[in-house]
Amino acid sequence: MAKKKIKVPKVVNGVPQGEVEIEVDDTAGPTWGPNDKHRLLNKPMKRVDGPAKTTGAAIYTQDVRPPGMLQGKFLLSPHAHAKITKLDLEPAQKLSGVKAVVAIVNVGGEVRYEGQPVAAIAAETVEAANDAARAIAVEYEELPHAVTAEDALKPNAPAVAQGRGQGRQQKQGNAEQTQAALASCDAVVEAEYRTPILHHSCLETHSIVADFRGGDEATVYASTQGTFTIPKDAARELGLDQSKVTSVVQHMGGGFGSKFGIGIAGQWACRLAKQLGTPVKMALTRRDEFLAAGNGPGSIQKFKAGANKDGTLVAVHAVQHTMSGIGNSNVAGQPYQYKAQHAYREAAPVNTNEDGSVALRAPGHPQASFAMESLMDELAYKLGLDPVEFRKKNLKDPAWHRQLDAGAKAIGWENRNKTPGGGAGPLKRGMGCGVGAWGGGGNAQCVVDVTVAQDGSVTAAVGSQDLGTGTRTYIRAIVAEELGLEIDDIVEKIGNSKLGNANASGGSTTTASLAPAVKDAAYNARTEMAKRVAPLLGAQPEAVVFDGRKVLGNGKSLDWKQACAALPAGGLSARGQWKPGLSASGVHGASFAEVEVDVETGHVRVTKMCHVQDCGLPLNRKALESQINGGMIQSMGMALYEGRVMDPELGVMLNPGFGDYKLPGCLEIPQLIPIIDDGDERQAVIGMAEGANVPGVGAVANAVYNACGVRVRQLPITPDKILNGLLQLQQQRG
Amino acid sequence: MAADKTIKQSATKSTTSSAWSRRNFLKGVGVAAVASDAVLDRVKHVTAADAPPDANARNQVLAGPIKITLNVNGQERPVTVEPRTTLLSALRDRLEPPVTGPKLVCDAATCGACTVLLDGKPVFGCSVLAIDAVGKKVTTVEGLGTPDHMNPVQAAFCEKDGMMCGFCTSGFVTTISALLQSNPNPTEQQVREACKGNFCRCGTYPHVFEAALSAAKAAK
Repeated sequence: MAKKKIKVPKVVNGVPQGEVEIEVDDTAGPTWGPNDKHRLLNKPMKRVDGPAKTTGAAIYTQDVRPPGMLQGKFLLSPHAHAKITKLDLEPAQKLSGVKAVVAIVNVGGEVRYEGQPVAAIAAETVEAANDAARAIAVEYEELPHAVTAEDALKPNAPAVAQGRGQGRQQKQGNAEQTQAALASCDAVVEAEYRTPILHHSCLETHSIVADFRGGDEATVYASTQGTFTIPKDAARELGLDQSKVTSVVQHMGGGFGSKFGIGIAGQWACRLAKQLGTPVKMALTRRDEFLAAGNGPGSIQKFKAGANKDGTLVAVHAVQHTMSGIGNSNVAGQPYQYKAQHAYREAAPVNTNEDGSVALRAPGHPQASFAMESLMDELAYKLGLDPVEFRKKNLKDPAWHRQLDAGAKAIGWENRNKTPGGGAGPLKRGMGCGVGAWGGGGNAQCVVDVTVAQDGSVTAAVGSQDLGTGTRTYIRAIVAEELGLEIDDIVEKIGNSKLGNANASGGSTTTASLAPAVKDAAYNARTEMAKRVAPLLGAQPEAVVFDGRKVLGNGKSLDWKQACAALPAGGLSARGQWKPGLSASGVHGASFAEVEVDVETGHVRVTKMCHVQDCGLPLNRKALESQINGGMIQSMGMALYEGRVMDPELGVMLNPGFGDYKLPGCLEIPQLIPIIDDGDERQAVIGMAEGANVPGVGAVANAVYNACGVRVRQLPITPDKILNGLLQLQQQRG
Repeated sequence: MAADKTIKQSATKSTTSSAWSRRNFLKGVGVAAVASDAVLDRVKHVTAADAPPDANARNQVLAGPIKITLNVNGQERPVTVEPRTTLLSALRDRLEPPVTGPKLVCDAATCGACTVLLDGKPVFGCSVLAIDAVGKKVTTVEGLGTPDHMNPVQAAFCEKDGMMCGFCTSGFVTTISALLQSNPNPTEQQVREACKGNFCRCGTYPHVFEAALSAAKAAK
């Protein structure tokens, strides 16, 4: 068969890392057809797992309790940096109901962040496990730590991450030329933007149940973004063959980039299960989750940038520091989505004694976008230009022009504050905007099996996981549409590593990878079915039509069930794989926000938000709107509320709980306007989830400026920063 | 270490506790909450004895397993708990088979995912002791409807896409079902107020509010 080479995105643990070239069959195959010609797809569809999720019938990893299951628990380090001088597990081991207490870090070993697991426990009850954690006698010799960027960047700072730290600088562009170009600009802005470390805050904490009872097989239930990221590592920890380990992910309570592989929770669930020959559940507590389950990196981004009166962005000089604890994350490069005549960027990580950063929904992009969108706004106001027009001038892709126009119309852009801070009364209203982009392309990893039984029942099976994006629903819809059936006629089987392979859900690549494979399998099932049924109709196979639960041809029709009765006893199976023409890469989005700032209290309320998003062929418009809403809400949370707060002296996190780590809640949600950009006519599936939470952060910050005249350059935008900014403005005016 | 000692005592107690007595139970209540007449009233539901409680038993310490019976979704469910076991943990970790609709998310009354109804009133299951639920009707999301027979709130959540990952959904559905009992015709602001103890990280809020208002309309 002829082959061709194509490029597909490469994603590692949720972080996109460019593209790789692969070889695929060069064959004709299914196509989606025009986006407005679908019967089920591109319409609002009810989530097929809705009834299970709304009635408590959906089983998540934390709900699994095999017979004899023990409760796992970690003892965490209370110090940011310390050496363990004493570790006596015996008092804990002697407790009733405690089955195992194992050291993770031994005497003489070091802990490098508050929350680093020191010991693992398995006990008959949650209460006994908690007692055991308290009974472990451990003593530490505290060592110097750095938990803020300031402390970490001091010349005599303690070495946090040997061999990494300040060494890995990236440089792009020509610094001298960029600096020189600034001299001739009509307006120059120098500014430093900061974002704190963020927390995924998945409602289901990192959880794994290792169901091993001796013998040579195990089932591992995991709250994971990748069914197939589990078996290999679990098998290694359990000492079993990988083929004997099945991972199960029926439903999972949120990942946002933090759940790939078995992680430390899975590692110890497996180790303890192996040691004891009985199932062990390791579910992090909420505090564990904040301290030890990964986070999204913070950033410090310093700019010198210049533009001309005609709106041309001339020069952008950016120095970016990424704060990723003991980890190694990066913030997306500058000038982000904009084109500047001269651009220079240097980037370096700053390591601190904190848990390491991992992917967090659009890794490094909201940070870069907030800074760049704020900078663009500052330049626009300095030049007296409309921020929307200034952006359009420096964005080439017509998608953004279309989306900025649509968003401006939806938010009522012409009603923004004409003078930042202007207007009577203490409540100031303002508007801001921002743009974003994402890859979201597919790659060739999914294997889908569609089977049609003799009684007419249809199953679509693939090991992939549904993070809440609606995977189950579009699997059914694609198959139903292809076979002329309804959604309820199809049963989907997912979330099991014994089913066909699927990629992990990172980089918004799931839908673009899986939907084409489902389409291909359904297309192959239809082709095969047509061959079988054509003789019954006296029609040519290629002339057989599937519609309205009927199979039609040669002026005759058979009910779906009649047609299936002609199949052999084993029914019919068809396999599908990803086909390049069915997915594409590259989505765009534009966000607008309207806020109300109380200049007496500094309180900011977002009153309205709008986000325009393209994604090629929308599969389920209802789920897509939910995703866009979710993106807006998360970007609003980042702008106004969220951030890890550290005590520099003690080296500990001050807000490791939902009481103090503020998330957007029912009372803060503004009017939200999700707009699906149907101007995108690509007949291909593209992932968009990570595109939707990027530009809203800058949009909210810019709206705050437009409302009250205070430019807050350090997130989150809390009332103290507004009040301090207002005071400074007053002092400047004299 | 104090905890160590207490637990050793409890280990001894546990050998006799399978034959749990009313007296031991009262001691358990003593450690769980300062025993009040209200608490003792509840105890009567499980003791069957109608003699006045032993005043000396009130302020003694007991840890370790005790048997109680919880009324969960209309069924009498015997379960062994400790005085410190939360209602949520009793449902999820101790009942056999478990009731897992209510989720453990924060264990600190900050997120609402564990919301259950206690005599029809929404409470955080993580912040009510199992023994304090004795003699009351516990209704979880499973008791409000089943996939084949959803209540109007559950059906509206499906209709309006009021969920994504679904981990907060049980809590929202339960809270809103209780709201519509007390206020069949709420405004969106009243829905928001009723749900302000419930978090969703996926960001389904607008569809949750729509679902609540739509369910109210449908129930008319």
